[in-house]
Amino acid sequence: MKFDDKIPIYYQIKNYIYREIIVGKLAPGDKLPAVRQLAVDLTVNVNTVQRALSELISEKIIEPQRGKGNFVTEDKDTIEKLKKMLITEQLQDLYENLHKLNVSDEEIVNYLENYINERKQVQS
Amino acid sequence: MTNTIEIKNLNYRKNYRSILEDVNLNIGAGKTVGLLGENGAGKTTLMRLIAGVAKGASGSISIDGKDDVSLKKSFVSFSEQLNGFSSSMRIDKIIRFYEDVYPDFSTEKYNQMAGFLQIDEGLRLSALSKGMKEKLVIGLTLSRDTKVYLLDEPFGGIDSMSRKKIIQSIIKWKNDDAIILVSDHYVSEIASILDEVVIIKDRTIYTQKSAEEIRSKYAEGIEQYYESVYEGNDIDD
Repeated sequence: MKFDDKIPIYYQIKNYIYREIIVGKLAPGDKLPAVRQLAVDLTVNVNTVQRALSELISEKIIEPQRGKGNFVTEDKDTIEKLKKMLITEQLQDLYENLHKLNVSDEEIVNYLENYINERKQVQS
Repeated sequence: MTNTIEIKNLNYRKNYRSILEDVNLNIGAGKTVGLLGENGAGKTTLMRLIAGVAKGASGSISIDGKDDVSLKKSFVSFSEQLNGFSSSMRIDKIIRFYEDVYPDFSTEKYNQMAGFLQIDEGLRLSALSKGMKEKLVIGLTLSRDTKVYLLDEPFGGIDSMSRKKIIQSIIKWKNDDAIILVSDHYVSEIASILDEVVIIKDRTIYTQKSAEEIRSKYAEGIEQYYESVYEGNDIDD
């Protein structure tokens, strides 16, 4: 994957793993690649991967098992919360950006509804 | 802290010209550090002094707490050492030479790396492309088991695929507590593997910063930060 050099890389690795979990590429209970393998795959420093994993562990998104490696949590609530957090982030951006354009709350709902309908028609 | 480089009040002159002045630098175990600076800033000289190849500097350079030159040489693997071979030499001969001269050279590790980097041992040095030569240099340098690896501009003029392979092999074969100091004047290609950057400017260490700190504190890329240092923009600390 390509990193944005202006954003801390450990943070981008965390987001990458969040997404892999939410879209199901990493399923609950799946084992993560070894730290060094992840570093090679992502072309980043081992210490940076380690930092990202440590934070994911303290967030209980992944669980280390002594001598076996790191595993995606099997706790459904944790994954559900993670998904909600990522969605909220996107909504927050959208909400703030539209407010900056002086779009009111009601208008946002209308625009969004219209937009979704238009997308549906394009696809069908 | 073990396995550290500690440089104190280092001054170095050559032919009555001052090359490095009042250099103070500490690098912790396990770090991958980018040594950045313009051509002629003194990057290679600093590496040669750390490796014990260049002599006559005042001040001190200790590695893992030791200041003894012969001991230091066994602690450091320096990419420049390949320059001494004749261009007609075959690669397998160079490998035998490394096995003989460096007791810490691991043929097994070399073979793994050579397989990954696809180095053809039957060729002579003169027959190698620039990229292939750099791969060989990296393979030989990293196959020694030392505390410090000095890679002097390993990406000069090579294609992006070779570069990627070299970067991957650095990540893959670096010992956890070994220090890698890699010099370059193009930063973006190695930015993602650096723990720290050290910028040499005006014959001394201008700054030493954590790569992630540059990103989080200044919201800048390493390249951008480095350029702003050289263009003389003020940076708030």
